[in-house]
Amino acid sequence: MAKKELSAEERSEKRLMILTPIVSVLLALIVGAIIIAVLGKDPIQGYAAMLRGSLGDPAKIAKTLERACPLVFTGLCAVFAYKCGVFNLGGEGQFIMGGCATATVMFGLGLQGPVGLALGLIVGMVVGGIWGLLPGIMKITRGLNEMITTIMLNYVALYFMEYVFKNLYSDSGLPKTLAIPQSARLPQIANAHVGVLVAILLGVFIWYLIFRTSFGFKIRAVGMNPVASKVNGFPVKRLVLLAFIISGAIAGLGGAIELLGRTPFRLADGFGSGFGFDGVAIALIAQLNPIAAIFVALLFGVLSTGGTMMQSVIGVPTAIVEIVRGLIIIFAVAGMAAVKLPKIRAFFAARQNAKVKKAEVNA
Amino acid sequence: MDGFITALPTIFKAMTMGAVPILLAALGEVFSERAGLVNIGLEGIMAVGAFVGFAVAKMSGNIWLGVLVGMLAGVLVNMIYAFCTVTLCADQVVTGMAINVLAPAIALFGYNLFVGSNPANATGEQMASLAIPGLSQIPFLGDALFNQTLLAYLAFILVPVVRYFFHHFRVGLSFRSVGENPHAAETLGINVVRTKYVACIVCGALAAAGGAFLTLCYTPIYTDGIVMGRGFIALATVIFGRWTAVGVLAASLLFGFFDGLNVALQAQFQAAPVMFFKMIPYIFTIVALIFFGSKHAGPKANGQPYFREQR
Amino acid sequence: MAELLRMENISKCFGSFYANKDVTFDVREGEVHTLLGENGAGKSTLMNVLVGLYQPTEGKIFMHGREVQITSPGVAVENGIGMVHQHFMLIDAMTGLENIILGDKRHDTPLLREGDDRKTIEGLMDRYGLEIDLDEKVANMSIGMQQRVEIMKVLFRGAELLILDEPTAVLTDLEVEGLFEIMHSLTSEGKSIIFISHKMREVMRISDRVTVLRRGESIETVDVANVTEQELADLMIGQKFQESTYPKVEDAGEVAFELKGVSYRPEVKHGGLKDVSLAIHKGEILGVAGIDGNGQTPLAEVVTGLVKPESGEVYGPDGKEIALFSPRSFIKAGLGNIPEDRNKMGLVGDMTVAENLVLKQTTSDKFSAGHGKWLKMGEIHDYANKLREENDIRCTSVEQTARSLSGGNQQKVILARELEGEPKLLVAVYPTRGLDIGATEFIHNQIVAQRDAGCAVLLISADFDEVLKLSDRIVVLFEGQVMGTYPGANPPIKEISLAMAGK
Repeated sequence: MAKKELSAEERSEKRLMILTPIVSVLLALIVGAIIIAVLGKDPIQGYAAMLRGSLGDPAKIAKTLERACPLVFTGLCAVFAYKCGVFNLGGEGQFIMGGCATATVMFGLGLQGPVGLALGLIVGMVVGGIWGLLPGIMKITRGLNEMITTIMLNYVALYFMEYVFKNLYSDSGLPKTLAIPQSARLPQIANAHVGVLVAILLGVFIWYLIFRTSFGFKIRAVGMNPVASKVNGFPVKRLVLLAFIISGAIAGLGGAIELLGRTPFRLADGFGSGFGFDGVAIALIAQLNPIAAIFVALLFGVLSTGGTMMQSVIGVPTAIVEIVRGLIIIFAVAGMAAVKLPKIRAFFAARQNAKVKKAEVNA
Repeated sequence: MDGFITALPTIFKAMTMGAVPILLAALGEVFSERAGLVNIGLEGIMAVGAFVGFAVAKMSGNIWLGVLVGMLAGVLVNMIYAFCTVTLCADQVVTGMAINVLAPAIALFGYNLFVGSNPANATGEQMASLAIPGLSQIPFLGDALFNQTLLAYLAFILVPVVRYFFHHFRVGLSFRSVGENPHAAETLGINVVRTKYVACIVCGALAAAGGAFLTLCYTPIYTDGIVMGRGFIALATVIFGRWTAVGVLAASLLFGFFDGLNVALQAQFQAAPVMFFKMIPYIFTIVALIFFGSKHAGPKANGQPYFREQR
Repeated sequence: MAELLRMENISKCFGSFYANKDVTFDVREGEVHTLLGENGAGKSTLMNVLVGLYQPTEGKIFMHGREVQITSPGVAVENGIGMVHQHFMLIDAMTGLENIILGDKRHDTPLLREGDDRKTIEGLMDRYGLEIDLDEKVANMSIGMQQRVEIMKVLFRGAELLILDEPTAVLTDLEVEGLFEIMHSLTSEGKSIIFISHKMREVMRISDRVTVLRRGESIETVDVANVTEQELADLMIGQKFQESTYPKVEDAGEVAFELKGVSYRPEVKHGGLKDVSLAIHKGEILGVAGIDGNGQTPLAEVVTGLVKPESGEVYGPDGKEIALFSPRSFIKAGLGNIPEDRNKMGLVGDMTVAENLVLKQTTSDKFSAGHGKWLKMGEIHDYANKLREENDIRCTSVEQTARSLSGGNQQKVILARELEGEPKLLVAVYPTRGLDIGATEFIHNQIVAQRDAGCAVLLISADFDEVLKLSDRIVVLFEGQVMGTYPGANPPIKEISLAMAGK
């Protein structure tokens, strides 16, 4: 791409926007450390345990990657929807429905082997897309706020999954489904299932789709200004509907991969729990950049798997990592808003100008 | 059909019980949205109110202290929202979402410390019901309406109070103007920023009270995710109730009714897959919105950030 | 006459930009003092400083010779200063009465006392001849009455100094007369008025003194008795200003676009169309005159395909009746559109200048590979730079967001994009609203050039002078109806302004 010549103000703003999430993570970790210290424990020891527990050896790294994998999907689900101005909070429901659909392919149709695997993935994606389509139709035809409808559909999906694992395909009456047959599970590379690779490739693909194709261009335009998009001849409703479907399909595929790739290979209580909101958090911290979302999801994975180790070593509840996660997003949101405030912009622009002038004087 | 009629008192009882937390949170949201702030963080604030109410009541043995401190905690959490959206002009939906991630985490962390240190803490205090003599004997509705906890009575009394506030108080009029056209309000010497902060204080306190109701009147335990989407149902209630106190009351009773229906059906058909009954309130919320929710717009400047010196 | 207000050496910066620089002026008791200046000369900023909405970067304000610190609008009210804003500061969902008493603190009780206040207001209505329906919602009031509510708000708070910011812009000639009567009765009661306008005729008629602002600075204060209109205009622009004129076309080509008996939501007084018929010919500019809010918006929406009329027929450039109303199909048929609100409808503000320039062509083979699938980023960048040169779009880079451009440059981006497709029909709605004289000239030249190239142009503008200057034919809209069609060469101005008032 051709070189960019931006004004001092825009350059300083861009730099601040990139810096904000990094500073937010550091700040959140510091606050976390303070909380640990207040509890009378050693924060350095705690964070060391967290790193050892998540990245200490190849097996642990693989576990962390597998933990981050579904979050990449729900994160991308959120990113794609928001890029089109759709505030999809239903990642969790779409993820769960994807998982349920895959389970139905396996146990309902009794498919196995690569055929079952392939069909499971496809059906999971399709059903996730349909679950995303529902609030889309409601938004377009009746103007319903998708935030509320997607949340409501999350609960419907949650109870439907309960029906699947308690009544439909229960493992001898226990509240969990049968395990996915060995032959239909996702293959492994270096201790982690290939879903991780799919997630990363998907992130890159979504980035390309959004920023380098005409379709993505339209999606972005609609997200930023639906009125102007309509005036300029874009089929706004169709694009919004597509955003709902694609975003749902991404989450649905995530659910299918989670079921087919990760131990315990079953649906049970807690499957996908909290992944939707985590995905939203990831998307926001990543400033809706799909590739950044992969890294943020990885960070969340490290926090989750490392949190368990931290608990066992220094004895603070794992919920501390959830607080750290919550703080990251609060700091990131506040920071990004602050960077855009006129006063703060003027301050940094003035500093930038002073620097430029100084450089001129020196030269 | 006979089964349904015998089940009616149960349904009504569950209806009022189910309506109260939604009503409290929705009234808080009415204040917030009347001042132009859409707060989708209700869910998180309710979680904090639920946990703090639960823990403080258990520790002190005083339920009302629990409610009060729970409300205070709700206000504190909502001050984060207020600072981000009012002072920093951050996107309201995004900030609300951040609250929904952070607040339940704080509650869960507190719970882990509180119960982890002493498993006897797992079951908390319960507020006793106050039966109003005579009235509570009315068939079908008596038990539902006149045999409730004091907190529930207070919630219902709040409805006319809020209505009176918005229509007959000078501040109430100013409040509405801030949500409709903050620039106009500012030119008339109304302190827009302060009004929005006050709205956040009220909203945080009421939503947290709704949360505290869950652990102090509904069930004596706290679990992660206890709010079960009630914060979002409250948001729907506000739309459904046209941003008025009375409308919100009617809407939350309706939502409560379907919650009650779910409870009654579960009791009636124990062999059936109960999860389908549990879906009822959520599906009803969507159906209600489809039929009544869309056309009416709320306060005009709702959801927009307010920059004082805009250029 | 004694001095009421003095503003001394007022400066106001936004970032590194001075909206006001070292402005000094004063107002005497009982006078109408006009602030005269172009768009962007700093009139509104100065007044926002005076009413406490902005804090001055430097300078002092005196009332009755005493220095005052106006830190908030509340303080301005306490000092007897009240402003009627150009865009009314009213709450549509509230009644006239509620709007007037909103935020007032005269009573000690926290409760509203509407009865007492109503009496006070009715007294003021009689005294100054202001007619207001206090129980009607503002949304249902005429523009004139909304303005009277605004004036009453200020009077109710006991203002001695009223600021009227471009009050005549939204009024019919008749309503302007009514306003001037109210202004006279105010000044005869000893109130002072700061009148903001750029309409010379009105300024000469109503004011006692005039202070001219140019590029944020106060240039000169003069007695109206001692100057001519031309002298004021030259002061305002800063040089001898000769407005360009364009030759009018009298025998235009064939019909390029036609409405026959079109109605759209005719029951809505300020937002509908009633049985509108008009034809736009190739190589002519058809100007639509009328006071804002008399059907301009729905007319623009119909001719750009945004809405489908409820009844009537519309014929496109190929002479066939149009059945499908979508912006997309209209654009395909050769529509160029300079929409009403450039930020909301014309540009995607958060996208770059380059992206906005190719907004309509992202699937063309020129800018995408694989038949509209992948974007050719390099081509887009080069093309944007080419258009930037040709249209003198001033920006540091085409990769900068469109939002960060000035209004004039934003309009140039839209114009460049719309004209590049060589439209058969160009619809320009308020094309120069809020722009300075330089940008206005550029845009007028471009529009006329399109006409001369054979394009049919529909110009919709609330600026009557603009319509007169550009149009080859003029139609007048009033409450959604066409009141008449007039020639653009030697137009009967008196007749047209009566038609604009519905007479």
